[in-house]
Amino acid sequence: MAAFGSFCLLIGLALAAYNLLAGALALRLLATGQPARISPERLADTARRAGIAGFIAVTGAAFALVWSVFTNDFSITYIVEHSNRALPIAYKFAALWSGQEGSLLLWAWLLGTYGFVLRLRHKTDVKLYAYAGTILAGIQVFFLLLLNFAAPPFSLLKGAIPDDGNGLNPLLQYPEMVIHPPMLYLGYVGFSVPFAFALGALMMRYPGEKWIRITRTWTMVTWLFLTCGIFLGMHWAYAVLGWGGYWGWDPVENASFMPWLTGTAFLHSVMMQERKGMMKSWNVWLIFSTFLLTLLGTLLTRAGLVSSVHAFAQSSIGTWFIVFMAIVIAVCIFAYVYQRGHLKTEHQLESLVSRESSFLFNNLVLLTACFVILWGTLFPILSEYVEGSKVTVGAPFYNRVAVPIGLFLLFLTGVGPLLPWRSTSLRAIKRNFVLPVIALWAMVIVCLVAGANPWKGGMFDSGRFYALVAFALSAAVTTAIVAEFLRGATVIARQTGRNLFAALWLLTRRNTRRYGGYLVHIGVVIVVVGLAGSAFNRNLESELGMHGSMSIGPYTLVNNSFTQDTNDNYNSEYAVLDVYKGGKNVFQMTPEKRFYLASGQPQTMVAIHSTPEWDLYVVYEGTNPDTGQPIIKAFLNPLVGWIWFGLAVIVLGTFVALVPSLTPATAALRVPAARGVQAEPVLKGGD
Amino acid sequence: MTEMQGLIAGMLLLFALVVYTFWPENAFASQKEKTRLDYLLERKEQLYENLRDLNFEYRAGKYPEEDFQAQRALLEHETAQLLAEIERMQA
Repeated sequence: MAAFGSFCLLIGLALAAYNLLAGALALRLLATGQPARISPERLADTARRAGIAGFIAVTGAAFALVWSVFTNDFSITYIVEHSNRALPIAYKFAALWSGQEGSLLLWAWLLGTYGFVLRLRHKTDVKLYAYAGTILAGIQVFFLLLLNFAAPPFSLLKGAIPDDGNGLNPLLQYPEMVIHPPMLYLGYVGFSVPFAFALGALMMRYPGEKWIRITRTWTMVTWLFLTCGIFLGMHWAYAVLGWGGYWGWDPVENASFMPWLTGTAFLHSVMMQERKGMMKSWNVWLIFSTFLLTLLGTLLTRAGLVSSVHAFAQSSIGTWFIVFMAIVIAVCIFAYVYQRGHLKTEHQLESLVSRESSFLFNNLVLLTACFVILWGTLFPILSEYVEGSKVTVGAPFYNRVAVPIGLFLLFLTGVGPLLPWRSTSLRAIKRNFVLPVIALWAMVIVCLVAGANPWKGGMFDSGRFYALVAFALSAAVTTAIVAEFLRGATVIARQTGRNLFAALWLLTRRNTRRYGGYLVHIGVVIVVVGLAGSAFNRNLESELGMHGSMSIGPYTLVNNSFTQDTNDNYNSEYAVLDVYKGGKNVFQMTPEKRFYLASGQPQTMVAIHSTPEWDLYVVYEGTNPDTGQPIIKAFLNPLVGWIWFGLAVIVLGTFVALVPSLTPATAALRVPAARGVQAEPVLKGGD
Repeated sequence: MTEMQGLIAGMLLLFALVVYTFWPENAFASQKEKTRLDYLLERKEQLYENLRDLNFEYRAGKYPEEDFQAQRALLEHETAQLLAEIERMQA
């Protein structure tokens, strides 16, 4: 299979190169009208079909690697290093992306898949799709060059073929790891598509904003994949790393978060371009930056530039990535400078208090957050370059900056929908903001009464203060969004005579994008409430002999037994803990420590009991070498479950936003007759 | 699969993909240039949508009467200008 896989990669490279060169030549001939021996349109079509054929070739290579993992073909170095015979089937798939070569192949295959769908749908706008397909081919050439020459996944082992492999990294042998990396990669790779459309539209001076509508679904789906990927990564870190948290501002976590921030900014600001032809240059640069940040993320994860628990490969492909990123930046700058006249705004910002300005602030805040995280992530590399020593930036730096920024974003999430487009009068502000402000202060009072105050042991605690602000803002934002739904539903109920629930359903169907977006905002609020809960975390560590006990919050943990187990893949030690609440035995927990046989590496398996109120999180830390008794660390983490529930609401909201809206049955518009109005081309753009 | 079998399978795949890519096809989609009129018609749809939104939000009680009238006048003026240009181009 190694020969077939390598051959497929070569074919894929040749086809992608043809797609790029023939596609670019055809577009050039069409743009200049130069005569040619072959019809440029026929040439462009062969380029498109080469893109489809290239996808099939890369699929062949991916299939060959998966086949080799499943058949334990230890003549291939990659299989020896990332798999073993006893590896469970699900984790055999995970071996595909557990190492550098495999994950680059996954990148190329996903890019090929996106490109395949795009090229099949080319009749939507043949010329724009031809530009986008050619740009995607350029990206694919880079990844296939890497796979053929810098990181070949099918290189054969030198010397004797071993009976078994080294196994998969134990950190990756966890259910989330089967879906987290593909999700993240679907997000990373997916941003290539809006990037290709944006760059293509700029290069061809595409009239109007239809390219945004064409790419809307791509962008939202991609954003959703990236969001799910990030949250699955958080859950994996929470359940596997055993430190009681889910986000440590690790460089690789940051690398996935940065394109999410710019992608989120793009999803918001692009609405201004669609509705009013504003912020065109800004949007183009947002999507360029998002794509570049996905490349940076891949570089950081795969090239070993930074130390991270998530970076599973160290190699020398960094130079390739840096060169490619430099080429992408150069192309983007050239296209922008050459065609910037096409990006003139059609309207100016009329008021600082309007929906437009809230989008602008939202973008500025998201980009500030992105810049701060980028600075912190790259600081160790820059400090090593300048001073010769690596200075790492820790979580306190990020928390100090990111928490206030996040709270301001939450504030904008509530304010934005309440502000009308163009401008707002003081009367409108008073009318729309009364309820959210009442909810905000009511929540402050409830929190203070419930003991969630900013003082801990008589001292001011900034974490608890921020949590209080987060709870209060969450109440205000939720009220604002619910009020938006109710206002709209009341109008529909009045117009159609339906009950409120039927009216809510119809309201959402009529404008799925807006109301789906509001659902996403509610999901974000729920996530923020979950994150704010961390200000009240507690933990306790204790050595527990047989029938020994420890108490945390309302729970008492009693060591029932301490035992060992073994199977083909690993040996394990675990404690069986009976958990009592109010004197009643309510459930049992089994925190575990595994020792993987193939790799010889240990791994913690945390036991988690989750309720809406809090998570009881128990880690088996091993045995005390002096007494031989197990050491147990217990955490009581309030509201963590809200984070995962918030993700479910975000997913639901995005699905709603992806459904096409119903067109209103009657559109009662009073537009004056066209005659008698100045018939000059007063609308800018579209030239 | 031996190395030779792998190479033969690869050659067959290469042959199939080359045939697919360069098969003489006359029914390919032509690249139509988008005109300013196309752009204006798209813009018209967007302006209608903006007007519908404005009316709906007014009925939902988000705008005081005078704000609504001012906003509607602006949007209607913009729409009328656009319709005039469309009419001129279609004439």
